[in-house]
Amino acid sequence: MARRLGESFWGDFFTLGGAVARAMKVTLINLIRRPVTVHYPDKTRSYPDRYRGLLALTYDKETGEENCIGCRLCEYICPPQVIKVEMLKAEKRNFAKTFTLELYACEFCELCVQVCPTDAIIMMKSFDLSTADRRELLLDKDRLHHIGLQFEPSWATGNLLRDMQTPPKAPRAEAEAGKVAEAGKAPTAKPGGGAE
Amino acid sequence: MSTPALWDAVSAFITGFIVLNVIVGMVTYVTLLERKFAARMQSRIGPYRVGPHGLLQPIADALKLMMKEDVVPRDADRRVYNLAPIVFLVPCMLIFATLPFAPGLGIADLNIGILFFLAISAMEIVGLFMAGWGSNNKYALLSAMRAVNQIISYDLPFIFVALVPVLFTGSLRLSDIASAQAGLWYVAWFPLGTIAFVFYIVAILAAENRVPFDILEAESELIAGFRVEYSGMKFALIQLGEYAHMIGTSYLGALLFLGGWAGPWAELSPWWGALWFTLKAMFVFLVVTWIRWSFVRIRVDQILAISWKLLMPASLVLLLATAVAIARQGGVGG
Amino acid sequence: MDPEARKVIELGYGGSERLTMNMGPQHPSAHGVFRAILSLEGETVVGVDAVIGYLHRCHEKLGESLTYTQYPSIASKTDYVAAMTSELAYVRAAEMVGKIEVPKRAQYLRVIVAELQRIASHCLWLGTWCLDMGGALGGGATVFLYCIREREWVLDLFEALVGARLLYGFHQVGGTRYDVPAGWAQKVRETLGLIEKRLDEYEDMLEGNAFFLARTQDVGGISRELAQTVGISGPLIRGSGVSYDIRRLEPYSSYEDFDFKVPVETAGDCYARYRVRMVEFRESISIVRQALDGLPEGPVSSRPGVKSVGQVRIAKGEGYARVEGPRGEVGCYLISDGSAKPYRMKWRGASFSNLAVLPHILIGCKVADVVAIMGSVDPVFGEVDR
Repeated sequence: MARRLGESFWGDFFTLGGAVARAMKVTLINLIRRPVTVHYPDKTRSYPDRYRGLLALTYDKETGEENCIGCRLCEYICPPQVIKVEMLKAEKRNFAKTFTLELYACEFCELCVQVCPTDAIIMMKSFDLSTADRRELLLDKDRLHHIGLQFEPSWATGNLLRDMQTPPKAPRAEAEAGKVAEAGKAPTAKPGGGAE
Repeated sequence: MSTPALWDAVSAFITGFIVLNVIVGMVTYVTLLERKFAARMQSRIGPYRVGPHGLLQPIADALKLMMKEDVVPRDADRRVYNLAPIVFLVPCMLIFATLPFAPGLGIADLNIGILFFLAISAMEIVGLFMAGWGSNNKYALLSAMRAVNQIISYDLPFIFVALVPVLFTGSLRLSDIASAQAGLWYVAWFPLGTIAFVFYIVAILAAENRVPFDILEAESELIAGFRVEYSGMKFALIQLGEYAHMIGTSYLGALLFLGGWAGPWAELSPWWGALWFTLKAMFVFLVVTWIRWSFVRIRVDQILAISWKLLMPASLVLLLATAVAIARQGGVGG
Repeated sequence: MDPEARKVIELGYGGSERLTMNMGPQHPSAHGVFRAILSLEGETVVGVDAVIGYLHRCHEKLGESLTYTQYPSIASKTDYVAAMTSELAYVRAAEMVGKIEVPKRAQYLRVIVAELQRIASHCLWLGTWCLDMGGALGGGATVFLYCIREREWVLDLFEALVGARLLYGFHQVGGTRYDVPAGWAQKVRETLGLIEKRLDEYEDMLEGNAFFLARTQDVGGISRELAQTVGISGPLIRGSGVSYDIRRLEPYSSYEDFDFKVPVETAGDCYARYRVRMVEFRESISIVRQALDGLPEGPVSSRPGVKSVGQVRIAKGEGYARVEGPRGEVGCYLISDGSAKPYRMKWRGASFSNLAVLPHILIGCKVADVVAIMGSVDPVFGEVDR
């Protein structure tokens, strides 16, 4: 489709004229198209189910207790090591005494969500936590729980992610699907689902 | 005896002052027009938040520039550096002196109007080079050298093409050129007028350093070219001068080719004529902006090649053809 | 103050005075942080001294201190514009050394995301190249914003699949971390249709455009011999007449199941590389369509989902895995000592090797050509400096 320049004067001249007209036509068409701008923050675009936003800690739907058992698996797997947990031993189960997450250094890789055995830590469908002071992004346990109640949670929890990746064994997938803690949406794909 | 002369001087001063302020106001809002027009062509909206639909954006920009710190590089040539914005701005403002906005509405309708316009508008190159040299910055220096090359090369075709309507009219006075188009605009005088209009647009693209000929301020190579060391009000003066020159040449194009103040109801009152004139100038400006936002730039040696090998001979041939056509018609007025 | 720095350089008409200009690390068209110290005679470049290392973040050391489960999401940060292919290189190296099988569905998914990533990366390339050539206030910005608009659609697809737009963490050793959500395949097909139409628009705007041709034809020519000696790869070597595509030479991840052309141009200049990448756009679209049509059922990972940080242990051994990234050959050399962390991990960055050709092609061109050539080489400094 290309021609080399410099071959013939009139050829180049008419090529230039045609090209100028075509390029200007494209810009003119775009002048009339609707702009793609979304007027944030007055309007927000819709985020998909799996959106990896802010991190939050969750409560158990039935008992109202905190889900976190202070096992520190998330602390060990975090690549930039932003999570710090202290366990509090109690009679029936353990809790987290302190849980700090340095959101300003977090990579949002979702590995902590993946390893959590009790679906305690999840991600939200929002990133709206901008602040002028970085110290406000050092989230402690209360703030993490508060974020969990404030925004809409994303689809992914630890058990759902692990089920999605694990080669199918059998009943675990259905049982866990019923016990999803905070995710308000049903899982949208199971391992083995084909393409549409 | 002296009172009428004094009154003439004072009234000329007042008219000049009013026109200057109107032009400065128009320049700031033309930047907003360009930004919104360009944004729409790029699938986005331009300034939107400052004022309703961004209408107060130019005022915000002006206030910001006024409040900025005036930084002068330590090794810059102080006198040249400080004088450059003024030397750049004054010719760009002076070109509006001869423009007749309507019959009887203008500052000074010289009988060599167009000659004055072209000569003064070419003087901005001095200010530009002073800015590039005085900054003591290699990028600015490269840009200034390219600018001298380019603007001088393109001023010649610019002048030749601007002479075509002069030949059609037979007078150098700008108001004569405008009134002579009452019947049919020169751009419609096919083929000479139309070709002249196209060449005029190309020539002002280059004389204004607009893409595709904006090699001297090529943001991606030389950052801001000759303006790179200026900040605050000096930068604002340079921007003012550039856009004023841009509007001035758009007005000239509207006058030379698009009939000046001709339009419905122009006979009723000069203000209608001024309105049509401004709208036509904005049309020329928008065509130039449309071209600017559609193309990539070309290299400086290619720019100079286009000017000397293509545009200059073509405009000379055009001028010659115009002269022959006029002579065959038996003189002016056809 | 250094007296050398205070010297004012006089330029005489002889033209033999050389100006040393620094296209410094902070520059709108440096494509990242790259310092080129150019010696100019007038407008012509007569010497170039390239300085890199401004973006060094110790990836190879991080590879030794992070486990096989943690590092894939960090691997995307080397070539951050084409994150999927960067992760793929690391994960393939680990699988090669550990002799781990990847299920067929995961292989097809990897192909789909790698080709979608190629489309997104080439959108960015075209946009930034035209931006450099045309100016941030001018036609370049227009093409840039159009290309970014198209890239946003592809990133929306990734967002629906993974949750993230730029740096994913999609791959894991043994397969992928995410499966396809409902309705995703339909969305992908629609987006591909739209992108094809927009590609026609871009080719319209740029192909016959004499300004564009004047800037790119006969600029930065790499001869076939030079290409084979210097060690470049990707669109650079395919634009110089050598048909070298790792997807054909050593098919990985089921690429042998797909039918696609490998574009090769012989001219070797910027325009040839542009044509190669434009054809690659369309071939990638076709590959994604074929993969979606043939996506097999099955698990997305041959290993159970990550439950703890030291879960994946690779047997002792070493190996080198390479993938065809949008910029060339991205490779990862891994030495494993049997534990959960590699003993040594080395990245072969495509852009790092591609930059080696710059001293050969930048000499003798004008300053404006430097920008056009840098754009057509398309370096990403995350890969160069790691």
